[in-house]
Amino acid sequence: MKEKTNKYLIVALLIGIAFHGTSIFFTLETTYDALIHLFFAEHYAGNWFEPWNDKWYTGFTVMSYPPLVHQSIAALSYVGGLKFGMFTVALISIILFITGVYRFSLLITSNKTAAGYAAILAVFSSSFVETLHIFGQLPSIIGISVLMHSLPEIYLWIKTGRYKYLFTSLSLIAVTVTSHHVTPIFGMIFFIFPLIGMVIMDVSREKVDSAKAITFNVFLTSFLQLFRRIVSFGMLSLAIIVGCLLPYWINSKANPITQVPIPHGSRDNFLEITSSGLVFFLIPWGVLLILLPYIFYRYYCKRYLFFGLSITILTVLGTGGTTPIPRMFLGETAFNILTLDRFTLWASIMSLPLFGEFVYRFVDGDLKDLIQKKFGAIYHRLIGGILAGLFLFMTIFTMSLSYFRPSQPQKIKMLPIINFLNQDQHDLWRYMTLGFGDQMAWLSAQTNAMSVDGNYHSARRLPELTTRPIERLENSKFKGVEGVGSLQQFLTTPEKYNFKYIFSNDKFYDPILYFCGWQRLRQLENGIQVWEKLNVPPVSTILPKDDVAKWQKILWGIMPFITVIIAFILNIQMFIVNALKTKAKAIPDFLKFKNNYTKFSIGVLKITHIWSIILAISVFYGVYIFYVKNDSHHSPENAILTYYDALDFKEYEKAYDLINPESKLPMDQYMLEISVTDGLLSSYAKLDAIETIVLSKTDSLATVKVNTKWITPLEKINKTDYKYLVKHKNKWYVQPEEIGSDLPPDQLYSNNITKYFNQGRRRITTEQTHHEDILKQPNLEILSAKLVKHNNSYALIGEVQNIDNVPADVVLKGTLYNNDDKELATYNAKYHIKHKLMPKEVSSFKINFEGIAWSKIQDSIPKTFNPDEFTPIEFEEQPTKFNLQIAGNVSNSDLYKGATLSDLDISEDLIKGKLFNSGIEEVTIPQLLFTYYDENKNMLWVDHQFISEGIRQQRQQTFEYPVLKNDDITLINEDMKNCYVNGLPNKSISKKVVPNRINNQTNTVLQPIINANYSFIKIEINTYIGSPN
Amino acid sequence: MKIKFTYLIISGLIALLAIPSRNTMEDIEILTTNTEYVAGKTIVLKFSTTNDEKTSLYLSNSYGTTIIKPIIDSDFLNFKIPELLSNKTGVVHWKLLSKESLSGKFYIRPEQKTETIETYLGPPSIGAGGSDFSMLVVIPTDIYDNPLADSTKITVKHQFLENQINDIIIMKNRIAYKNIYSEKKIGRILVSSECLELNSKESTLNVMPGIPTDFSISFQRNHEYSDGNQITTFSTSIIKDTYGNIVSDGTFVNFFITNTLKNILKTSGTTVNGIAVAKMIHPDHKENWSVKAFIEGMAESNVIELSYKSIISDFEVRFTENNRTITVGPLKSFMNQMVPDGLEVLLSVYDGNQILKILSKNSSKGFTTFNLDNNTFPSKSYTLKIKTAKIEKTFPNTKL
Repeated sequence: MKEKTNKYLIVALLIGIAFHGTSIFFTLETTYDALIHLFFAEHYAGNWFEPWNDKWYTGFTVMSYPPLVHQSIAALSYVGGLKFGMFTVALISIILFITGVYRFSLLITSNKTAAGYAAILAVFSSSFVETLHIFGQLPSIIGISVLMHSLPEIYLWIKTGRYKYLFTSLSLIAVTVTSHHVTPIFGMIFFIFPLIGMVIMDVSREKVDSAKAITFNVFLTSFLQLFRRIVSFGMLSLAIIVGCLLPYWINSKANPITQVPIPHGSRDNFLEITSSGLVFFLIPWGVLLILLPYIFYRYYCKRYLFFGLSITILTVLGTGGTTPIPRMFLGETAFNILTLDRFTLWASIMSLPLFGEFVYRFVDGDLKDLIQKKFGAIYHRLIGGILAGLFLFMTIFTMSLSYFRPSQPQKIKMLPIINFLNQDQHDLWRYMTLGFGDQMAWLSAQTNAMSVDGNYHSARRLPELTTRPIERLENSKFKGVEGVGSLQQFLTTPEKYNFKYIFSNDKFYDPILYFCGWQRLRQLENGIQVWEKLNVPPVSTILPKDDVAKWQKILWGIMPFITVIIAFILNIQMFIVNALKTKAKAIPDFLKFKNNYTKFSIGVLKITHIWSIILAISVFYGVYIFYVKNDSHHSPENAILTYYDALDFKEYEKAYDLINPESKLPMDQYMLEISVTDGLLSSYAKLDAIETIVLSKTDSLATVKVNTKWITPLEKINKTDYKYLVKHKNKWYVQPEEIGSDLPPDQLYSNNITKYFNQGRRRITTEQTHHEDILKQPNLEILSAKLVKHNNSYALIGEVQNIDNVPADVVLKGTLYNNDDKELATYNAKYHIKHKLMPKEVSSFKINFEGIAWSKIQDSIPKTFNPDEFTPIEFEEQPTKFNLQIAGNVSNSDLYKGATLSDLDISEDLIKGKLFNSGIEEVTIPQLLFTYYDENKNMLWVDHQFISEGIRQQRQQTFEYPVLKNDDITLINEDMKNCYVNGLPNKSISKKVVPNRINNQTNTVLQPIINANYSFIKIEINTYIGSPN
Repeated sequence: MKIKFTYLIISGLIALLAIPSRNTMEDIEILTTNTEYVAGKTIVLKFSTTNDEKTSLYLSNSYGTTIIKPIIDSDFLNFKIPELLSNKTGVVHWKLLSKESLSGKFYIRPEQKTETIETYLGPPSIGAGGSDFSMLVVIPTDIYDNPLADSTKITVKHQFLENQINDIIIMKNRIAYKNIYSEKKIGRILVSSECLELNSKESTLNVMPGIPTDFSISFQRNHEYSDGNQITTFSTSIIKDTYGNIVSDGTFVNFFITNTLKNILKTSGTTVNGIAVAKMIHPDHKENWSVKAFIEGMAESNVIELSYKSIISDFEVRFTENNRTITVGPLKSFMNQMVPDGLEVLLSVYDGNQILKILSKNSSKGFTTFNLDNNTFPSKSYTLKIKTAKIEKTFPNTKL
């Protein structure tokens, strides 16, 4: 018998390559994972046999991910570069997937036409489109595709017992495991076990006359008959799974994942968090949802019974946190480690053969006849049109999802950053990116410089990272308290990580960088702002690494390609034989078990109809709920929510649409009023929660109390506003607020200020900066320093003065010791200091000793966000002594001193006052430092406050500061003998530079306050200028 | 007899064994007598030898050690010291690696001809006054980068203002150094050095001003009224250090303003040419300020007193729309002109003695209007207090 080429498969391949092959160029680079794989590939391209990578997380091992896909990209990159490699591998994965689905479908349906239909449908199936074009999970696709290729071979081995099939199936399992380790493990359970069940059924079927005659006894005897083959296959494939990735398993045993689980959308309750429901349930299932009754009906027939069980489990597990079943089934640990979206993906892939079968029966099979007979030809065409339309809609919707709701920031041109890192030996320090999304992996792949961050969270090693459920520091603002809390620890003590440069693509982080003592360098051509930190030593030339045995490195380097080559030799000769059709080939055994496609069950048709109606009703209900929630004028609450939402996303036109049209506020006036407001709240805050309480409501008027919680990079801001709403033509509108009419005194005014410029290296040379060009470190003096215990935490407080003639950037590092001189803790000054000091300027400071927050995994992590979260370090022993190291470096940025204190009103609880901006820059975030003194004018404590509104030039801004009360302050040590400035004893510098210091000179101008603990207070002003002129 | 014979044989054997060994010991001896060389010149150590044995020579100097092979010239062993060693000054130890070791040392001194001068000057800036100094380190070297011999004379020249000073210093331990002290004036000291007629490049040393001394302050304003809408500018006299030098630009001066209520307000300025200028907005009510400026721990100013006259002595309040619209004004200034926009007017609403709400508004064109909507304030009697420019008016039992 001459075998014909399946034209449907050819069509599927052609369309698949044309469709996906062109679109990957627009989608793959913006997916979540593709660039990470590219980064790994770059590693192999450079060091094929060295698994240690220093570029991320102060070093990690690439043995933490199966290497086949990465090594393939790396090998191809020698031909045409990394991206060429990635796209080529993506194309291969598309071909493998389509052919894999075909072979799997042929195995299941035993019908070439149905399998051909399945192959075509697979091209457009929304789960595949999502996995490839949105998630970019190349290893996972290749893994499942090769697994599907292996299924017919496994069937034939168990059925026929010919060793040829054993080898082919094992060779394919080996390829699967080297490309994705999870796929064969779960594939064993969810694909191979049911398949074995099916083989036993088929063998049993051959023994009896009809399917009905298969009793348990028959089944058992068949099972025992095949037992040797099943076990031999099972043991051998287990050996392969372990053997091929042996270094991986050794590594995971040596470095078990002890980190806090990272939240994943696939574990959400899909009904509550609808966006997760969409991405992890609706999209992967797509049109298959309508066919669920058919799929279950078919898979629960006797032959496929085990597939029926398997798909049921997969479907249920894929629902994530919607029902408690997955959590119970998997157990707490596995539930929190696994991403559950893969179960839905596998379920949808498992459904594809039956989808093909259904379409085949619908297009030219018994279903067509049945529907035409029952409902007429028009109805058949209509239903067909609707189904096809829905199917294509889901495909297009999935493809365009990242276009309408980009998961990644705009594509960033990396060249300026790479040039920056290559210049002036900038790559001798570690860097971090902020707001790059997964593009950070592409940057890492292109530069030799190392990052403190990384994009493969399973490999993280620093306890500062592993104890937080955050994927990357890079996008920490989306991770709430843990995110920014983690980030600020890195920003405060960057010396620890030799971390000097930050590339910021997100203005949101600017304030925290500034107040942690970082300074802006310049904006690169691509709009990326570079920040740097002074006084950070470069990375040492020899870095620690976890080395592994040579045999592991060699095995890891050659095993993946060996598996591919063996699989190729074993399988391709069969393919070639097939393709050339040189000899008539025996029909594979599974084709002997034909299905009966002549009598479509009327019951199933009925149930499918009812099911479709239920689905349609829920969809319409969902849309209705969505509409009611989003019709902004429907109720006062809706109007307020939409209004705040629009302001939060800076959609001012939308916000303006909600302003009472009767207020006669012109659009441009409204825009102008918004544009002049600046500050922490209006420029750097993200709305976290909003609560509306309708205080009073009449038919046409409403007063709403709006409690808002804003996340800013520095602190959480709670705000209560009272909004007035009016009803106009049956729609609710927000009454606009009046803006301040304060007129500044001067139209044009001048200010003489001293500006500085540092040449850097004066010679144009690639050598190290010439010693003549290195500036002297400015002399600083520690005027006072003491160790105090405030309530339950320890802190170093004091005052520092720049006694030099040049402006200085100040870095303070405090270390605490116990009586036996054992070091207990070390930390840097964060917010409580003016990091930049003009000549002779003084700043109070405080060093809080912060522990790694939630360092014990069992510590409960607060659910609410608080960027200002402070975890006091837990001291095992009592700190009694301290060492204070201050380093000064010449700085010429952020030296604005124009803010003044223009009014004060002091009461027992509250200090109210006004700040006046007398200079020529707009102050974006003013910060007040409050130093408390006792009745003898001895310093006791330092506190701070950020003012959430900015101050425009020659305007005033009010502030209210609640005075600290009921504090328990103990002075522990005020011995300053261990204070050092630029490595020299503070005392000797002080003696030499300011020998005749007038001590406590400004004590006469301390502000008296009425307070049980404190008698005097000093107020200092620090300012952040968002956009310096 | 037997014993004697044995003895003879043994002693004969001993003699036979002993003779050749003594011979080799006498074979090798050094012929070169010179123990001092000049760097860069060829150095050959010559040894006499009688046999063909290829003995190696072990050499060691401060840079490292090496072993060299001889060039055999009939009865002599010639060891040519490699340039790597012969170009460097210092002691070279040698040892012949023969059976009976022979060792010695020789000294290479630099050629007294300066090829380059390395100079280091640090710190690059010092304070005026004569106590602060910077150290100049000079290392003249020969063509092979060897420091010249100790006791070599070096002239250090430095120029400051009109003075140009030459000093002779002497090399010791391969370097020469000189501390250059600042003088009382600020400026720039240019430093160079000379050794054996070769001059170094120029180094720069900045002399910065010392600690500032007390100064005086003054103020300047457009008028003496407390309209909250003018700027008062405080400036210092030219601030100088102990030696009369103007303090460096950017010196931070803090101005503390003590007001009538003894609250401490604050403004600051940084100096340009010794004068710091600080600005402050006029208060919006009658006020007396006493101002003093500090450069903390170092210097302070005199105290100056300023007073601001009130611009408003009284204002009108009008109630309309069931007392729900309250218009404050006209607010008139010192020439009866309308006050500039932005004067703060506070309306406090009391229910009995309990404060319900404080509304704050800025004046516009001389008026401020408050609207009390009946959502927030249901119809009832309230006590209203209106305050502007620290003048308060109370309206008890106002029915809304």
